[in-house]
Amino acid sequence: MQIKPFTDTPIKYLEYDGRPSADVKELGLSTDDYLRMYRELVFARAVDDRCYILVRQGRSGFFAQIAGQEASQIGSALPLRAQDWMYGDHRSQGSLMIKGLKASEWFAHQLGRMLDPSQGRLMPHGPGRRDLNMPPPSSTVGNQITEAVGTAMAQHIKKSDGITICYFGDGATSEGDFHVGMNFAAVYNSPVILFCQNNQYAISVKLEEQTHTKTIAEKAKAYGMEGFLVDGNDLLAVYAVTKHCADKARAGRGPSLIESYTYRYGPHSSADDDTRYRPKGELEMWRTQRDPIMRFRNFLASQKLWDEKKEEALLVDVKAEVAKALAEAEASPVPEMMTVLDHTYAAYTPQLEWERKELAAELGV
Amino acid sequence: MATVEVEKKTTLSTMVQAVRSAMIDEMTLDPNVVTLGEDIGPRGGVFLVTEGLIDKFGKDRVIDTPLAELGIIGAAVGMAMFGLRPVAEIQFIDFLFPGFDMLVSEAAKMRYRSAGQFYCPMVVRSPYGGGVRGGGYHSQSPEAYFVATPGLKVVAPSNPYDAKGLLISSIRDDDPVVFMEPKKIYRFQKQEIPNGAYEVPLGKAAIAREGKHVSLITFGAMVQLALDAAEKLKPQGVDVEVLDLRTLQPYDCDAIMTTVAKTGHVVLLQEAPRIGGFMGEIAAYIAETGIEYLEGPIVRVGGWDTPFPYALEKAYMPNVERVTRAIKKTLNF
Ligand SMILES: Cc1ncc(C[n+]2csc(CCOP(=O)(O)OP(=O)(O)O)c2C)c(N)n1
Repeated sequence: MQIKPFTDTPIKYLEYDGRPSADVKELGLSTDDYLRMYRELVFARAVDDRCYILVRQGRSGFFAQIAGQEASQIGSALPLRAQDWMYGDHRSQGSLMIKGLKASEWFAHQLGRMLDPSQGRLMPHGPGRRDLNMPPPSSTVGNQITEAVGTAMAQHIKKSDGITICYFGDGATSEGDFHVGMNFAAVYNSPVILFCQNNQYAISVKLEEQTHTKTIAEKAKAYGMEGFLVDGNDLLAVYAVTKHCADKARAGRGPSLIESYTYRYGPHSSADDDTRYRPKGELEMWRTQRDPIMRFRNFLASQKLWDEKKEEALLVDVKAEVAKALAEAEASPVPEMMTVLDHTYAAYTPQLEWERKELAAELGV
Repeated sequence: MATVEVEKKTTLSTMVQAVRSAMIDEMTLDPNVVTLGEDIGPRGGVFLVTEGLIDKFGKDRVIDTPLAELGIIGAAVGMAMFGLRPVAEIQFIDFLFPGFDMLVSEAAKMRYRSAGQFYCPMVVRSPYGGGVRGGGYHSQSPEAYFVATPGLKVVAPSNPYDAKGLLISSIRDDDPVVFMEPKKIYRFQKQEIPNGAYEVPLGKAAIAREGKHVSLITFGAMVQLALDAAEKLKPQGVDVEVLDLRTLQPYDCDAIMTTVAKTGHVVLLQEAPRIGGFMGEIAAYIAETGIEYLEGPIVRVGGWDTPFPYALEKAYMPNVERVTRAIKKTLNF
């Protein structure tokens, strides 16, 4: 299938019931690839469920679920390579883990332990890892967009073979950051993929109240860039479109905007009450008829690659892996109180030296 | 069957309820008062301050905006110049910065640059402060930026009664006001507050606790910590006076000098980092104007000079121990 920008309906490879609606063979994916993809989906959901429990137990202070958006996150991260950069937002742990963040690190991040690559310095919506070319997401919606474009500009200047992907939500497209970032990306023909997860809500605000274009993808036109609308709950479609844009960026043919049309199952975060704004029945419809995991499982079954027995074995396996990752995180120490002053600057300033003494006196250490 | 209800004159309220009550009273009295912000419509705001407002006043006056602080503050400036009295809600004060330019370059300077022809009677309300496991971007106290911007007024209440009266005064004020709501104590305490509008004047501090040995000057959520520290020191014979500034810009010079003259010892308490912080201004003012009263150093207590942490919030936030050490430092001079 030729992947085209600005389609009226989302690009898909699979019907809602999982049957292929396009030639999936052209994606060049092997059976092993399919099985790994499915495992990643199931694993991401299992991590999500476990984090939800941590919050309910009061052991984590904050959590933004990705449930419902697994295909969007995993499908878009899989085409990337080690040298590529990834800028996440507050709801992109599925992608961060594909890039290489370990589940144990993610749990440690939730719990604020030393195994967290950000060492508990950040509200738990995603740590960074330098070795994976993955800066820590900011809480400030939209801030990552111009940064990602800057990284892509640098990749271009330095003739790096890497590209950059940047995640943000539909709400973020209202911030100035989005518009400025789009413009810079296009003006400098930067090798960047601006990946918008349109889960249709920014906390309580529906997309129709956020913007008056029918799609987000079409906004790309105004910046002289291609915009792709993809079914974000179709793993293969997200993979195909992102790979297309990644290849294009690598070939020096510039940036793309991808709108991944999806839905979040959970409240905005552990601090939200979504019953105040979600219409009755909407969530149920998505859960039961559009679920990205069910859709891919049905696809596998349609290809005779999956059955109940395999499913059971996988669930057991994933459960054990999640438990192991959490146990590792729990075994990791909490940061020492004295380290609170570290990493403010490359070296301690005289003022911070003074404060270190004050803090030591206060703590009696 | 009709029941006769005796009309109550006050309502037991949290700070959230008090702020909401101020909004309802002012919007009822003055049709020019409107409010705009993210999720403030059916969701009622993430802290439920605006709960029910959209049903009462409709979509034209309770404006659920796209996710853009630049738009919220910029639009408020334009509305204010036209003659409305907008109350902009910024979801967390840490997220004001995408709209910072409109606040400091536009709202703050409009009166001056038009020689008084245009001005911005607007309020930017926003929860601020730590102690809520919010990490680096849901905990900050950025008052210093606003206080250092001539043209802006800055207000921070410490209890429900003041919150309602100060917000009403802020809405009625003809200059732009940054109204900082201490989210940690949003629901900490209930007070009987009058039904109907009343004002607590801007620019006037309040004695939160009388004492004679040392003046502990603070505002917002830190008032409670100051009172706790005062109680802790009482058995040791130290009698702490707590001054709640309530308005940071313009701050109450007379109240500050009165307490300094009375006790001769000063401790200044804020949540923000100390370097370049607001309390540095108060220290300079006292040193310039009241050095003759001082019997010990002016001591500042604040957060450390780092970004706001997450897991180590406890090590960062000012606490009773830090405050009492500071008090002893000046008393034992
Ligand atoms: C600049 C800024 N304003 C407001 C917020 C508060 N906030 C956090 S997430 C969010 C909604 C984001 O919606 P969207 O971009 O669609 O992403 P989603 O959460 O749906 O994944 C808001 C308003 C923030 N973090 N940063």
